[in-house]
This record gives sequence, structure tokens and C-alpha cells, in this order.
Amino acid sequence: MSDTAVLSVEGVSKSFGGIHAIQNVTFEVRAGEVLGLMGPNGAGKTTLLNLIAGVYRPDSGRILFQGKNITRYPPHKICHVGIARTFQIPQPFTDLMVRDNLMVAAKYGNKRGVTLELDEILDLVDLLKQKDTTAGDLATVSLKRLELARALASNPTLILLDEVAAGSTEAELPRILDITKQVRKMGKTIILVEHVMKVMVEAVDRIVVIDKGEKIAEGTPGEVMEDEKVLAAYFG
Amino acid sequence: MEISLAGLAAPIIKGIFLGGLYVVIALGLSLVFGVMKLINVAHGDLVILGSYLAWAIMGWLGIDPFLSLVVGVPLFFVLGFFVQKFIINRTFRISLDAALIACFGISIVVQSLLQIIWTPFNRSLLTDYRLVTFAVGPVTIQLRYLLNFIGGLAVMIAVREFLRRTYMGRAIGAASQNEPVAERMGINPNRVYSFAFAIAMACAAVAGVLQGLTFSFSPASGPPFLIISFGVIILGGLGSMAGTFIGGMIFGLTQTLGAYLSGGSMMIQMLAPYLLVFIILSVRPQGIFGR
Amino acid sequence: MKIPRLTTLAPIAVLVVLALFPLIGIPLSWLNYLFSFFIYLALANMWNLLAGYTGLICLCPHAFVGLAGYTLAIGTQVGMPFQVGLIAGAAVAAVFALVISYPVFRMKGIYFAIGTLVLPEVLKQWFNYWQPVGTAYQGGGAGYSVVGLAGFSLENKYWLALAIAAAAIFLVYIILRSKLGLGLTAIRDNENTAASSGVNIFRLKLISFLIAAFIMGIAGAAYFIHNPKIQPAGGFGISWLLLPLMATVIGGEGTEEGPIIGAAIVTFLRFLLADYGAWSLFIQGIILVVVVVALPQGIAGLLRQVGAYHLPQKLYQAAKARIHRT
Repeated sequence: MSDTAVLSVEGVSKSFGGIHAIQNVTFEVRAGEVLGLMGPNGAGKTTLLNLIAGVYRPDSGRILFQGKNITRYPPHKICHVGIARTFQIPQPFTDLMVRDNLMVAAKYGNKRGVTLELDEILDLVDLLKQKDTTAGDLATVSLKRLELARALASNPTLILLDEVAAGSTEAELPRILDITKQVRKMGKTIILVEHVMKVMVEAVDRIVVIDKGEKIAEGTPGEVMEDEKVLAAYFG
Repeated sequence: MEISLAGLAAPIIKGIFLGGLYVVIALGLSLVFGVMKLINVAHGDLVILGSYLAWAIMGWLGIDPFLSLVVGVPLFFVLGFFVQKFIINRTFRISLDAALIACFGISIVVQSLLQIIWTPFNRSLLTDYRLVTFAVGPVTIQLRYLLNFIGGLAVMIAVREFLRRTYMGRAIGAASQNEPVAERMGINPNRVYSFAFAIAMACAAVAGVLQGLTFSFSPASGPPFLIISFGVIILGGLGSMAGTFIGGMIFGLTQTLGAYLSGGSMMIQMLAPYLLVFIILSVRPQGIFGR
Repeated sequence: MKIPRLTTLAPIAVLVVLALFPLIGIPLSWLNYLFSFFIYLALANMWNLLAGYTGLICLCPHAFVGLAGYTLAIGTQVGMPFQVGLIAGAAVAAVFALVISYPVFRMKGIYFAIGTLVLPEVLKQWFNYWQPVGTAYQGGGAGYSVVGLAGFSLENKYWLALAIAAAAIFLVYIILRSKLGLGLTAIRDNENTAASSGVNIFRLKLISFLIAAFIMGIAGAAYFIHNPKIQPAGGFGISWLLLPLMATVIGGEGTEEGPIIGAAIVTFLRFLLADYGAWSLFIQGIILVVVVVALPQGIAGLLRQVGAYHLPQKLYQAAKARIHRT
């Protein structure tokens, strides 16, 4: 694992039954960067996130975070070391108020001794006015932002964002990009899974492309978009 | 004590036959769980209700308990249909926990009803052939255990054919695999549930007769059968009928071998299956054949 | 001097009044009823803590009660003072919970429910055959008596039960407003999200389970101090599950006042039906089914929905009645 890397995924594989969801994937995430994770539907992007987040255990390979081997850590421990995640389909605490949704992460996930101002996080994602609303009553788009807020509330070093822009209108995209940039300015490292190309291209520093469980390309957005293998994977 | 190979033959055969009884009892539970993801904690008590019903009909009409099924099976079918329709289906709208609690309530109702009508004392279905035994080689087999085995096979095949060949049977199969898709295909899930529960109850009626012939029973006999049936279906793996069959055999063997190897200890005989259930639940809840 | 708020003052006032009952000439039969009410209240509160706040439908309260009762009885048979037996009983229940927690928490949802149902059945069978101490007429199916209770009057038992009930309520009150309460509510709401937010699910469930086991144990042991004979069927009887379950369901799962309302109703019901033997259980079962179908949010839930009283906005409480979204 190189000096600037915050996360190192090394030769990770995972199968379910007979299906090889992830095969021998290796890449690094550098401190402070925004890494995009791209690939056609079913390529294994969410599986990869789940492997990093401790929901699944790799069959082989290992995952290092700031030098620590986190391969076999369960989800709550992953959060404790400083990796937070959002869910592709938002999974809020539906019976709790917005502020309490964050409070859970803040009280249980933040082991880094720094108290965060939850109101500031809510303000960042434009949910400050709804902090006393029950999460179950929020509109679906707001739920996505709540996911991000909750992830931030545990004061992570690395955030895994799973399709945070999906379902947003054209008009909302600039705001999402803006929020992502702000998070990055906070010093966080981000892995971004996204289908919305505009966000992907404008928000990220580098991209890793996955197809059928394997890494097929890695580089800057420009490099990756010209890559033959990537074009083949998407357009057949 | 002496454990001989020849000596083992009797409990092994008896255990396999006893397994047939457990298969019939477990089938009802399996059907309900497979379709509705609900463990009917009243299931054991409903089987005992079947035993009492057969006992009562035997007493009033003096007929063989198997004949009493002519009344028992349709009665239980209808009862099951309406219980599902008016009680359990309603609780599904609330939560799965609510359904579980409702089943528990039904369990209490059935147990206390049995006690009110028939007192807490033990009963048995006493027939002429209950005590018949016959010899196969050096081994003595009790007829009623053989009946359990035959009954188990028969009911299992009957239910399987029903699920395969009738429209409602296939609808039940579809709903247990994937409810939203089934619903979009025009299948009314509530109706399917009602039929599934009705069939489960019909199986319980048969199980009640078989059980009553094999063991003596009292109003409190239900929960042990619930626990064993649960063990059977998860051991065999959910959704696998062959698995349920084998699971039943294993539980039967556990009891008979447990009794034999412990020199006839009642305690071991009662506790061995429970221990097995607990181990399965802890170690491999998806069972032997489960996915 | 700052005058405390009504919501703090009222419960303390009630507690003081209840404590004074034996001294102001309340009839002994009433004290008896209240004794049962307090025991049921403690049990219901704990069942609600598990089911309503942790999301654990625990079907083994009768294991905790029976174990505590037997510890008390057997302990007093070998000369242990009953006060020690009381605590020892609760401790045994908690240790039991700890021991089974590892396999039992590996089971999800329905598996957990059945797993917990198996335990009391096993214990009932075990104690049917086990005779660790005593003469030929004790142990096994005959059970044991609790001895050494001379001088422990009805008033004393009453205060004991009152203390236990008050402790149970206070405990739940504190938990719900603590970090633990937030974590439990999160687990009940969405386990996956809770885990990914740093909540150690196993540990929190275990803590909840241990607390419930201890309090249920102590309440059960207190019951057997008042009714000093324990047998397998009674000690591990299904009534000990039906009671807290009914109280919680009727009163309102997932609310703080629910178990109190429910326990009151259940106590009243039981004494109304006391002379009717098996009919009592029959009617209770019917009521349970009817309530779970027709009034799933319980009485407290209903009262909240119609705004019968104003709830101060508690920090970690779901303010709405909990009706699952299907």
C-alpha cells in the first residue's frame, strides 16, 4: 500500500453460489481524492462497496485501510475505523426524526473524538429545516440527502457514496455536485458509484471501471472514456 | 448396557417409521411458512385438536379414527380457511410480529378449550390394531409405527401432487416463491394464503389421528410437536419436500436411538429432539438442503 | 426554590401513596391484587423493552421466571436466606440469558422466536426429572417449597413488589433517554443501517436481554416468595409468557405508558376470571387475538393517535404510534 493511499483493495474476490460477483479486483484510493466507480448494470459495483463496508467478506484477497487490515471487520467496526457508507436505496430510520438519524451515527460511529455540529451537516444537505421531521415522512429525494448526512455524522475519513444523484432532476444536479465538492473540502476521501455521467465526470479525480466483476480500466475521466474496453463494455 | 447391531435395528426402523409421523405434522407448518413466512406457533396445538376430535368421534360413533377423518379433514379445512381469512390475513396488514402474536393467542385458545372440554388428563386413540405387532426377521415392529410411515408418505405425495397439478396449488407455489410477481399475474395473495392454511389444517387433522394412535396426549401436548416440526422443516431446508421427509426421519431416529442408547431414559427421549433443534438453529439455520 | 414539573412530581406522588397503602388500612385483598399488578408490571415493562424497543420478540420469559423461582426454592431448602435467594434467582436468570445469547442471537427474526420458545420447554422437562436436593416427595414433578419466610409479612411482600415495579419503570425510563435507548430504537427500526452507523447490534441486544432477564427473574422470584411452592408446570408455565405479552399488546407496544395500562387491565382480568380455571386462559387468548387484530397499537397507541394527552417531545422516542409500513 503506497504512502498516499487511504484504502487499498488487493486481489479481492467474492462469489455467491456459482456466480463470481467480484474477481481479483485491485485498486487504491488516495487520501483526499474522489474516486469514481463505474460499470454497466450488474457489474458488481455495489458488491464491491459492500465488501469494503463489511457487509460481505471476501473469499480471497484483502482490504487495507490506513495500514490496518480491515478485511474481516463487521459493518459497525468498519464505521468505527472511519469508513461510512450510503445505501443505493435509502435506508433511513423511518420512525426517528431526521436529527436523531444523524445522532445514531454521531453517538455510535464517531470514535475519533471530535464532536460534530449536526446542524451544520443538516445545513450542508439542505435538511436543516426538517430536522424535527420524522424520516418516514420525507420525500424520496430528501432521503438520499439524509443518507449522506447520516454518513457524515460519524465523522468518517472515507465515504462510500452509492448513487447519490440517482432520481434527481437536471436542476438538482449542480447542487449535488456542490455538496460533493464541499465534502471533499472537509478533507474526506470519497468513493463514488454513479450512473449519472455528468456527476461522475465533473466530480471525480480518477475512475475505476468494473465489468462482470473484473477491473477493466483505471485512470482519469478523459483516459477512461476513450478506453476501448470501456466502450465495448457499455456499448457492446 | 449392551449395544448390539441387531439391537440397533429395532430402534432404527422404529425411528424411521416415527419419522413419517413427524413429516405429516411438519408438512402443515412447512406449507404455511413457505407461503407466508409465518411460523404458526399454534400448529402443534391444532394437531392435538385433531387428535381430540378423532377421539370424540370415536367415542360418539364408535368408528375407526381413520374413518373419522371423513369428517375431520373437511372440518379442519374449513376451519383453517376461515382462521386465515378473518384473523391472520388481517394481522399481515399490521406486521409479521402481529401475526405471530395472533397465532400465539390461537394456541392459548386451543389449549384452554381442550382442557375445558376434555379435562387435563391423558387420552389415547385406542383401537384394536393399536397394539398389533409383527415380526420382520429378528425385529418386532409395531403396526402403528408402520402406519405413521405410510401415512407420512401418502400425505406428502398427496400434497405434492396437489401443488403441482391444480391451479390453486401452483398459485400457492408461485406466491411462496415471489409474491409481488404472483400478485401482478392476477393471483390474490390473501386467497392463496387461506387455501394454504386450509390445506395445512387438513394435514394437521391427519397428523392428529396418527399422533393419537402413537402416543397418549393431553391438552398441553402441542408445543413439543411444534418445536419438533420446526426442527424438521429447517433441518430439511425450507422449500424442499424431500428435505422435510429426511428431516422427519432424523428426528424420529433421534428420539428412538436416544431412548435406546440411554437405556430407556424418558428425559433423554424428550430432550434429545429439543437439543437437536437448538443446535440446528445455532449452527445451520438453512438446513441440510437449504439454500 | 425551583418547583419540579408536574411530570416529575406526579409519579413520585403516586409512588408515595402506593407505599403508604398498607399503613392506612387498605384491605389485605387489595394489597394482594396490587402485589400481582406490580409483578405483572415489571414483567410487562421488560417484555416491552425487548419487543417494543429492541425488536426482539422474546418467547422465553417463563424460562427466566422459572429459573429464578427454582433457584430461590432450592436455595432456601439448603438454608439460604430468601433475600439472597431473590437476588441469586435473578442472577441465575441473567447468567442463563448470557449463556444462550450466543446461539440465540445468531438466529434472526422468527428463528429467534422459536429458539426462545424451545428453552422453557426444555427447562420444564429437565426440572420434571431433576431432584438435586430434598426428600422423596420433593423435586421432579412435585417441585419445591420456599422456606424460611417466617416473619415476612404481606406488607413486606407488597413493598418488595412495589420496589421491583418502580425499579423496572425507572430503568426503562432511563434507558430510553440514554445512548443505549437510541441504539435500541435504531436496531428496531433498521438493523442494517444501525450496523453501518457503528451500532454493535449483538452487544446492545445482549445488554437489553440481560437486563430483561434479571428483572424478570427478580419479579418471578418475588412472586414465589408470596406463593411459596414451585413446580415445573407452574414455574415454566405459558402463563408467564402470556401475561407480559398481553399486557404489552393491550397496553401498547413501544410506548412507555402502555405496559402500565396493560398490566392493570390484565390484573383486573385475571382476578375477574380467577374462579373459572381454564376458561380464564380461554378468554385471555380470545382477547389477545381480538386486540392484536383490531387494536394493534394498543390503548396507549390509540390515546396518542387521538391526542388524548400531549407528549413532551422526548428525544429518542418515536412520537407516532408504531404501525409498520408493509
